Amino acid sequence: MAQQCSDWPAALPTRSQESRGQIRSRMKDSLTLLHRVSAHPDSRCWFLAWNPTGTLLASCGGDKTIRIWGKEGDNWVCKSVLGEGHQRTVRKVAWSPCGNYLASASFDATTCIWMKKNDDFEMETHREDSMDRKRKTCLDYRLYDSAERQGFQKQCVTTLEGHENEVKSVAWAPSGSLLATCSRDKSVWVWEVDEEEEYECVSVLNSHTQDVKHVVWHPNQELLASASYDDSVKLYHEEEDDWVCCATLEGHTSTVWSLSFDQSGEQLATCSDDRTLRIWRHMTSEEEQGKKDPIWKCVCTLTGYHNRTIYDVHWSHLTGAIATACGDDAIRIFEEDTGSDAVQPTFSLTAHMPRAHSQDINCVAWHPKEPGFLASCSDDGEMAFWQYQRPE
Amino acid sequence: MECADDLFGGIVMCEERYRGEGYEEGFAEGKHIGETEGKQYGAMYGARAGSELGCYLGFASTWRLLLLPTTDEKQRKKIKILDSLIKMIQSFPTEDPTNEKLQDDLSRVRGKVKQVCSILNVQPDFSVTYEASGLSF
Repeated sequence: MAQQCSDWPAALPTRSQESRGQIRSRMKDSLTLLHRVSAHPDSRCWFLAWNPTGTLLASCGGDKTIRIWGKEGDNWVCKSVLGEGHQRTVRKVAWSPCGNYLASASFDATTCIWMKKNDDFEMETHREDSMDRKRKTCLDYRLYDSAERQGFQKQCVTTLEGHENEVKSVAWAPSGSLLATCSRDKSVWVWEVDEEEEYECVSVLNSHTQDVKHVVWHPNQELLASASYDDSVKLYHEEEDDWVCCATLEGHTSTVWSLSFDQSGEQLATCSDDRTLRIWRHMTSEEEQGKKDPIWKCVCTLTGYHNRTIYDVHWSHLTGAIATACGDDAIRIFEEDTGSDAVQPTFSLTAHMPRAHSQDINCVAWHPKEPGFLASCSDDGEMAFWQYQRPE
Repeated sequence: MECADDLFGGIVMCEERYRGEGYEEGFAEGKHIGETEGKQYGAMYGARAGSELGCYLGFASTWRLLLLPTTDEKQRKKIKILDSLIKMIQSFPTEDPTNEKLQDDLSRVRGKVKQVCSILNVQPDFSVTYEASGLSF
């Protein structure tokens, strides 16, 4: 059931004696800027990832580097720069569930795995039969930069090769033993990590017909979701020793840029170039009992709130609030209405921060431990930290 | 009177009759050309798919022979994946060009080949092989 709205203030539930202006100002107060940092100067800041404990934030950008940020007093300072791993833009970064590894996906067609050990990043080789090549890269990566004063030593542990061109995203499964990558080459790869920390490709999935933009794992199952330029979202699971596409979510009318599961994993939010946000729900009806493939249905479409492409969406597992990053430079937050039907849920805009950045916003990331604490980053190279408070 | 009727009838109806005949002739010719074109395309596409699959099968079978049976877990994994690729190619519906799953199966085989290459850590250039396959029509 679509929740259609032509203009965002009109879409809010009617509140007596409250003008649009009041709603606007109330919503503005619900999101407060805490801190702004130039993360990747003179470049785009593409993506942010909190480590599982929320003590470190990784950022990546068009300057081919990954930066690790930590809080010192009230400030967020750069603890480390991982600069020698990639030849081109670093598009996404992801922490392993244990917090000791960081994976980075780059336009140079490779995915690097970085290891943090006692606050050091170390490197190992993973394929004996290509030692020469690896040894060369080892030496290349064994370069430290000024951030070494922070006690961080950065080296790429492993380079995963296989994609034909730009790797767009990378994600660790909750178990930490599986890793997924996706690329402009239209494929999604699933990698398995063994005890010896060797990465082995377990499947190459060619289900999408276009560029695959993003991959995410279900929060507690081995279910993988991917978003693509072919306007669809696909879900995959393992079946008889092989990974297969088990569901295709169709409805968006343009590129699907990002997706995020809620805390339970029963709902999925997707955002698109068609300026809508869609909420999908896993249907556990009787019809499904006999079938192997899960059924996901679009239960809500949020139209009319965003003026440009929505590049990212993140569903907070602590508060249930959904944050979006938009090409109109604004951050918006949505929450499910109290008492809304699970099968036909309704959502309201609870925060709208116009000009949150001076250019396109690429990513929004909720802190994993502090409710309402949000980080965002933009084409302007900056990242910003926000505190969200649900309006009364 | 009858004669005049026929005469006028023939004149009045001739446009329709010629149009009908022309349509039939055109349709027959179009069908023939379409069939020829379809056959050519089918032969070309089929040959390309066949050559691609054959190439993968040759590659996989050769590697399968090169890898000796062993107790080494990694080696066994490689053999298992090669076997599954070989099985996929052998069960490919080559005899049934109208099979709806043809494209899906082909893309699954291609994915498997990529996985095999990644596991064996080899980067064969299959694209060169198609051109050098010597098949022409």
